[in-house]
This record gives sequence, structure tokens and C-alpha cells, in this order.
Amino acid sequence: MKKMLLASLLLGAFAQTALAADVVKIALTGPFSGGSAPMGTSMRDGAKLAISEINLAGGIKVGSKKMKIEIIERDDEGKNERGALIAQELASMDDLSGVIGTVNTGIALSGDKHLQEKGITKIITPAAGSASMTQWSKAGVKDLSIFRFAAHDGIQSAMVVEHAINQKFNKVAILHDATNYGVSGRDDLLTQIKKQGNKIEVVATEKFNIGDKDMTAQLLRAKAGGAQAILIWGIGPELAAVSNGMAKNAMKIPLVGGWTLSMSNYIDNAGKNGDGALMPQTFIEEAITPRTKSFIEGYHKAYNVTRIPSPVSAAQGYDAVYIFAAAVEQAQSGNTGKIKLALEDLKKPVQGVITTWQHPFSKWDPANVETHEAFRRSDTVMGMISDGHVVFANQADRARLIKNATK
Amino acid sequence: MNTQIIAQMVVSGALMGLVYALIAYGFQLTYATSKSINFGQGELVMLSAFFSLTLLNFGAPYWLMIIGGLLFGAALGLVVERAAVRLALQQKSEGWILLSIILGLLGFSAAENIWGRDDRPFPTPISADALHVFGINITPLEISVAIGVFAVMGLVELFKRKTLLGKAFEAVSADRDAAELMGISATRTIMLSYGLSGMVAAMAGILIAPITTVGPTMASALILKAFAVAVVAGLDSGFGVVLIGIFLGALESLTSFYVGSGWREAPGLILLILALALRPNGVFGKAAIVKV
Repeated sequence: MKKMLLASLLLGAFAQTALAADVVKIALTGPFSGGSAPMGTSMRDGAKLAISEINLAGGIKVGSKKMKIEIIERDDEGKNERGALIAQELASMDDLSGVIGTVNTGIALSGDKHLQEKGITKIITPAAGSASMTQWSKAGVKDLSIFRFAAHDGIQSAMVVEHAINQKFNKVAILHDATNYGVSGRDDLLTQIKKQGNKIEVVATEKFNIGDKDMTAQLLRAKAGGAQAILIWGIGPELAAVSNGMAKNAMKIPLVGGWTLSMSNYIDNAGKNGDGALMPQTFIEEAITPRTKSFIEGYHKAYNVTRIPSPVSAAQGYDAVYIFAAAVEQAQSGNTGKIKLALEDLKKPVQGVITTWQHPFSKWDPANVETHEAFRRSDTVMGMISDGHVVFANQADRARLIKNATK
Repeated sequence: MNTQIIAQMVVSGALMGLVYALIAYGFQLTYATSKSINFGQGELVMLSAFFSLTLLNFGAPYWLMIIGGLLFGAALGLVVERAAVRLALQQKSEGWILLSIILGLLGFSAAENIWGRDDRPFPTPISADALHVFGINITPLEISVAIGVFAVMGLVELFKRKTLLGKAFEAVSADRDAAELMGISATRTIMLSYGLSGMVAAMAGILIAPITTVGPTMASALILKAFAVAVVAGLDSGFGVVLIGIFLGALESLTSFYVGSGWREAPGLILLILALALRPNGVFGKAAIVKV
């Protein structure tokens, strides 16, 4: 009897290894706790939704069989040092097909080098800080296995500055947090102001720390300078502290900033003070097309919520998985190097929830980071907070997206 | 415009400073009787705020939440006394330093596991819409913080001066050995002081939570400032902490306005170094009598 048991156990072990060759291992990393958690968990859950859809349909077709996707989950808590440790751990796995995730730009800076060293394919989403890709062009890396699937801050800051110019603001204040994300966002804003003709004077450039609740000093400096709008780069809880501080100090000027202004912990903690805040978005939680409808309903049902904590992150996580799966199918392999080559030259368009992706990436060129960036200005719209939800700030964008989808 | 800005900065800063003062007062209470302080006091503030939020979420009315929160804080204070302080004091060791830090860390992990790591809004019936008083914007919420701080400190001081238990407290603070010879149990009095200190921490948590939101790290920045206030004012300075708290809060605001928002934390630390160098017993502290 004992022998039988042992034999069956051994058999089981063999069966397990045989099975392992038939799966594509994808790691999902991001902050699933802490201030950035709404983005991390939404990205993860959006990605898992796509993965479960693919697995339900049998998996990714490779040769005559179908490969299922296996998920490895890691919580980096939004901390650079934890992110680096996780990247090291993932880099040491030899059967990993790829990594999807990272919310915090600082983590891309501290961790991605380990993946790049081993040539492990990674799609960064939704971290938007410019530095996570420009670090590679600055280093002149010839062959890059890191891709980004998010509207990077170059696009976002251009839109924010564009908005300020269109509204004929002459004086603005820039507020940003002290993280890599905030500082690089500030630099992007200043670059864009210069690039778009120096029509705006920056009357105050103010910094705040993660965990700061009292923004009076920063806001009063903006007020004293006569700022007509506040351009801001930070994450949810501190953004809410700024909005609440503005209400307290009777500053009724527009707040325009990075896409993080759509985070649920901003919307909830700012309450009615958040109404009217503007930010670039790649996805708005409104069922304007059949595809967005099924995605939003699918997400709500699967995770039992009535509002996606960060719709942009969820949609990007979802689409990133489909793009990755398309690359696996084209490469006909779960080998991370082959997947990377396929990603750089995706032949078939990929139906996503944000748009239909045509050749999202191309061969890496250190002189042009756009080769590994999927999003362009046209994939991004202005969103606005209204009554606890993010809506289209511009009805023209909404109409355009509906038109594109029915084309 | 300029004087208005200065006034606004001073008022906003001073209100934050009052919260530092309240937490610093919690340090004083235990230091007075036992010459020990709870280095995990920030976690008491945070745990009590979480507990109060849970009460509110269960539908408890606001007044009941305050009572419940305060009792919870007092209970935590007693736990700290029993688990971290009593044995160390009996053995005349400084073990309470490490033990209270460890208890704090335990509390932190417990909060992360029970309530999660997210910051949550703390509902309050008091309005956060600004009132304009002489050109200064101030919210009823901030005023409630000030009233709460003075009410708690005033009540504790009244208790110390007017009741028998309170007099025992004062006696042990003045001279522990003499008090014990008079039949006052020092152990009980130290327990009382830790209970009161926990209650004060809970009050600070409930007062500040609507402004800071509730999360495991909500008190970590506060506690450092409160400690600076307690040391600069003197650990036996009584209401001295209020003055120093207000001063430090206002100074922080003005520094971040005039020098830059990155320098906000600097004055508190410089003040702490100066105080330790020039007046080790604190600005309002009593100089220790050295017996030779």
C-alpha cells in the first residue's frame, strides 16, 4: 500500500513537470497595499480578468496544443527596495515568460535592471514616469527587454500644459511629491511649458512628502504668486490633502495633473472638494462601446465592486495581457527572449478594451524611446472628476472613441 | 496680503502644534509617575483611531464612539504598563525602552493585518468648510481639535488636583518613596498614569483622524514631533508643552512658506538639538537636584 502511494506520488510529480512545460508563467507585480494600492490592485485584477478569459478558452495556441497562463503575484508595497528584491527574485527564475506590472516609477528605476540583465521581457503598466524608459536611452542600451504600456508623462504633461494654455492661464503653480514620480513629473511640466512657447509663468514650484496632510504653506505660496491654476504630480492621499487644503483656503482655481488624480483614494478622501479636477486618462469607466461594456461589467462582477478603483490601471492591465498573449502566439513559445522579439513586431492587431492595438511596439532604438512605448497622444483623453466618478471632460473625445470603435 | 498670509500660516501651524502638544502631554503623564515613557505611543494613537473608526462603521453614534475610543486607549495604556513597564521598573532596568518599542511594532503589524495598509477617511459630523475670521480661513474641524485638546488636558489636570486619586498621582510624581511610606501604592498610580496616557493618545487619534485620515502610519510623523515638543518643553513641564507645541507648529508652517516646503521638518529637529545642548531639562522643566 505504501509503495503504491509513493508510486502515485512520484507519478504525480512527473505529471506536474510535464504540465509545467505547457504553461506560460507571467509575474504580476505592483503595490497591492499602501497609498498606490488602488492602481496596483486594479492593474492586477484587470490582468487576471484577461488571463482567466484566455485560460477559459483553453489557453494560448502554440503549435498543436494550447498553453495556459500561470500567474505569479508579488506585492512590492510601492517601496523601491522591495521592488528591487522582487525583480531580483523574478530574474532568477529560469522558466519565467515575462513580467507585467509596476506602478511606481521609482521601482522601475530600482528593479528593472535585474530583469534587463537576464533579458526577461517586461511590460511596465501603469507606471507613467518618463524616467522608467529614458533611463535606458540615456544608458544607450542596444537591446532592451522592457516595454511600457501606459501613457507616459511626456504625453500627460503635454496635455496638462496644453490645457492650461487653452484656458489662457498666464500664471500657474506646480506642486509635486518628493518621489521619483513627482520630481520627474515636475521636470516634464517645466520642459513642456518651454516647448509650448513659454506662454505660462510658473509662480511657485512646491514639493510635499508622502504622508503630508497639511499643504497650507505650499498652497499659500501658490496663492501669493497669483496662480490661476495648480498643476500637480503626486498620488492619491496627498492629492486629496491638496484639494482639501484648497477648499479650506478658499482657493477656487482649477487643479490639473497626472492621471493619478483618478485614483479612488483621491476621489474618496477629497470628496466634493475633488469635483472638477482634470487629468489625462487612457480609459474612462463608461460603457460607450460593447467591448468596454463587457469589460466593465466583467470587472464589477468578478470583484464585486460598483466602481473600479483605478479604471486606467485595470484597462491597461487587461490589454497588456492580451498583447503579451498575442506575442506568445506569434513566437509560438513561452521563451521570454522569443516573446520580446515578437512584441517588437506584432503582426496581428490585438483587440483591446482601450483600442485595437496595431503594431504597438517596434525594434528598440535608444535614440527614440517611443519604439518601446505603446501609447500615443491620440490614445489619451482628458478625464474629469464629477460626483465621485471620472467622466469625459470633453464630449468630443467620447464621440471620437465611439466612432473609432464602430469603424 | 502678507500679514494675512503670516497669520494664516501661524494659525494653521499652531493648530497642528496643539496635537503635538496633546501627544507630548501623554508622554509627560507617565514620565511624572514612573520616569518612563511609552515609545509606542504613536501606535496607541493609531490603534485607537482605527478602533473608533470601526465603532463608527458598526453604526455607533458619535458620542459613543468617543467614549469607546477613549476606553480602548486607556486599556491599551494598561497593557503597555503591564507588559512593558512594570517588570522593567521592578528590576530597576531600562528595559521599558525596548519593550515599549516592541509593543508598538506589534501594534503596527496588528493594525496592518486587521485593518489593512490603506488610508481611510474618518467621518465626522463637524464641518470642514472654512470660516473666515479676520481674513484667516479656519475650519470648524480645526477649532474642534483645539477645543478637544484643551478639554482633555484641563480635565486631567483637574482630576490630578481635585480628587484623592489625583492627589496620590501628584504625590508619587513628587516623591515616590515618600508616597509609598504614606500608604500610596506606586504600582497602582503608575497603572493609572499609563491608563490616562493611553486615553490622551486615543483622544489625539480621534481629533486628528478626520484631518489626516486613518492608516497604520498616520502617527509616525506626529510622534516624532510630539517627542521633540515633550523634550524641548521639559518632560515635567505641565502646560509648557502647549506653548512649545504651538510655537513648533507655527515655526514649521512659516519655515515651509519662507524657506521652502522641503525644510518643513528642520526647525523641530534643530530645536531639539538646541534644547538638549542648552537646557537638557527643557525650557519649562525643573532643574534636577543632584544629591552628592
